[in-house]
Amino acid sequence: MALVRARNADAFEALYDGYHRLVYGVALRILGDVPAAEDITQGVFLKLWSSPDLYRSGNFPAWLARVARNRALDVLRSKAFRAESELPDAVPENDSLEDVAFAHLDAAKVRSALALLPLEQREPIEQGFFGGITHEEIARRSGIPLGTIKTRIRSGLRKLRDALDGAVTV
Amino acid sequence: MNLDDTHDAMLDDVAVYALGAMAPADAERVRGHLATCARCRAEYEALRPAAGALAYSAEACETGQNGPHVSALLKPRIMREVRASLAPAVRERPRPAFVWPAYLVAAACIAIALLSTISNISVGGQLKTAQAELDANKLAITQSERALDADRSTIADLTSADAKRYPVPNGAVIARGGKIYLAMHDMPTPPKGKVYQAWTLPKGSKAMAPSITFVPDPHGVAVLALPQDARGTSAVAISVEPDGGSKAPTTKPVALAALN
Repeated sequence: MALVRARNADAFEALYDGYHRLVYGVALRILGDVPAAEDITQGVFLKLWSSPDLYRSGNFPAWLARVARNRALDVLRSKAFRAESELPDAVPENDSLEDVAFAHLDAAKVRSALALLPLEQREPIEQGFFGGITHEEIARRSGIPLGTIKTRIRSGLRKLRDALDGAVTV
Repeated sequence: MNLDDTHDAMLDDVAVYALGAMAPADAERVRGHLATCARCRAEYEALRPAAGALAYSAEACETGQNGPHVSALLKPRIMREVRASLAPAVRERPRPAFVWPAYLVAAACIAIALLSTISNISVGGQLKTAQAELDANKLAITQSERALDADRSTIADLTSADAKRYPVPNGAVIARGGKIYLAMHDMPTPPKGKVYQAWTLPKGSKAMAPSITFVPDPHGVAVLALPQDARGTSAVAISVEPDGGSKAPTTKPVALAALN
């Protein structure tokens, strides 16, 4: 990132090569629309190029994933086809709790860990993270009581953390 | 939405907040609670990394076999903008060629020669000015260095163990070797048109000899060296005198120290 801050286009290209799949994948999963996900990816990387100081410190891909998710949620908001209360709050982009977690992760590890969760826990977790809907909306759509959804999310995240043990440490 | 009152229910809320699946108003309430509850904060810190790790499960791949495929056109699109931003912002437009007639060339040569002479004179003048400024700066630096040396010498004398100190109201007269110092504090500002004046009594004399005049700084502090030799001085005094000083004290001394 120091080289990107120094306006080194080759260093920026290396960053793009390393992380564009993560940004694009998150955006596509949330928006379900290829052109929109490409726009998010382009917007995130060009913003990084024009304002590299937005990234302060910590694990770079963790920060980038948060930015991508929040930008995708912003797009959902701008489309305004849902009530505002159904859209989740943005995750703080400079929250560094995931920094260590992301240091040793890759897609295969996380997918394997997710696959270990019971469907009743995995579904609300994935809907909550990628679906761009609140837990209340998850409960309403599934017809499952709100308290049950919350408990399942908590249990699922704990299991996910255990499954990623070693990679997910704070 | 009702946030449950029991702590277990609050821990469930914390999990939903860590996942980022909470409506903004509820998220704000959980944030407020996290700021005051160590147990919930610990739960958040335990679950947040796992929630953040979910992003990796969506990572695309180049081939599309194990996930979504990224268009190969995206990178050139982005890099084109990146490299364009590095290009010089202003490019000079090429000007059409123009052939000058002979008389214009001659006139231009004369004009250039004149400008060159004027320019030389101007540059010569600037050099002289710059040299004068350089000399002035050198002198100022030399004076500053001397003042600094004098200050160092004064501090060494004032703090020396073998200096003799003679207390007076609001300060002291200090003698070391042949030097005499006044180190005063909390001195009242002299009346308008008045200054403080130091006096020395030469050994064997009964009449005070005038020394320097001074005004303390806004904090009432004055530290100064008298030009007289301490070894030939038997007393030092300070009095308030008219601006410019007096030949003999005109007021009762505000400070008097006998040196021995």
